Amino acid sequence: MTAMGQFLDGAMSQSMALWALSNIPGFPPIIQSAHILGIAVVMGSIVMLDLRILGLAVPSQQLPEMANRLMPWLWWALASNLVSGSFFVFARPLRYFNNPVFGWKAVFLLSAIAVTLLIHFWSRQPDFASHGRTAIKVKAAALLSLGLWIMVAMGGRWIAYVEYLYYPA
Amino acid sequence: MFSDWLRAPFWIEVENWPISWEIGGTWLFPFIESIHVITIAMVVGSILFVDLRLLGLAAMRYSIRELARELIPWTWGAFVFAAITGLGMFITRAASHVLNPAFQWKMVLLILAGANMAWFHLRIYRRLDEQALSAASNLQLKVIGALSLALWSGVVLAGRWVGHVV
Repeated sequence: MTAMGQFLDGAMSQSMALWALSNIPGFPPIIQSAHILGIAVVMGSIVMLDLRILGLAVPSQQLPEMANRLMPWLWWALASNLVSGSFFVFARPLRYFNNPVFGWKAVFLLSAIAVTLLIHFWSRQPDFASHGRTAIKVKAAALLSLGLWIMVAMGGRWIAYVEYLYYPA
Repeated sequence: MFSDWLRAPFWIEVENWPISWEIGGTWLFPFIESIHVITIAMVVGSILFVDLRLLGLAAMRYSIRELARELIPWTWGAFVFAAITGLGMFITRAASHVLNPAFQWKMVLLILAGANMAWFHLRIYRRLDEQALSAASNLQLKVIGALSLALWSGVVLAGRWVGHVV
């Protein structure tokens, strides 16, 4: 992690990101808002899907239709957030790669993606519509996915707070 | 007169309430702020597919009424938590927030987003039957959907901007 931070520190990516953040008027709040809107799409797609599997939301929508329809939205939102988030990481790589919460966020993100892919795979099985939807393993995966995506979203906010609490300016 | 009200000593009193000090000086503030971000993402994420459906861009196999009936309660539920957590943060710096242009914009956009939802609910959702609602060629539906997307995005942007002004 630290090696990655040192590699990016002083690289051309840093000067480009810092230039954009400090010279384009309103760039930091605009990019941060784009990042939050990406999280909103995560909520509207995979979190709603998880809530559906748990029997808590959108009862008239059915799997696998729901998964097939919403998954592309999730992937585009993640791609968009990778871009919007990278401006801040490239601008201050040492801060991020030395920050334990940034590492946790990465772990949560990769786990969330893995569990989500598993749910999508299960939802496409031929027998899913008949009994798979109520299967306990699917519900457990949906609950895990829900928790992980919320941790990913919260992680971003806590990266800044950990820095504030533990790293003197 | 309105600008006098914004400069009233009351806002300083609010900042000095014991609960404002409690939130502002402890782990409560970051905790409340992270709940605020999550619930706002839920507000926007839950209404998003209603807006996209109104625009004819997504979830076309479902009727507008069906989507709105099942998704908008999540928007309201999340909004209640966003409003409570937002108020919790507001009171810690009330006097500066009421004078913060980004905060003022956020409140105006929030009222407009609410008015847009009321327009949809009272003029469209309640009056038209299922079939008429499904006729997605209706320009009024597209305007409401586009306004909703723009206004809620604006609320997020203005809200994020609040922290860059203070």
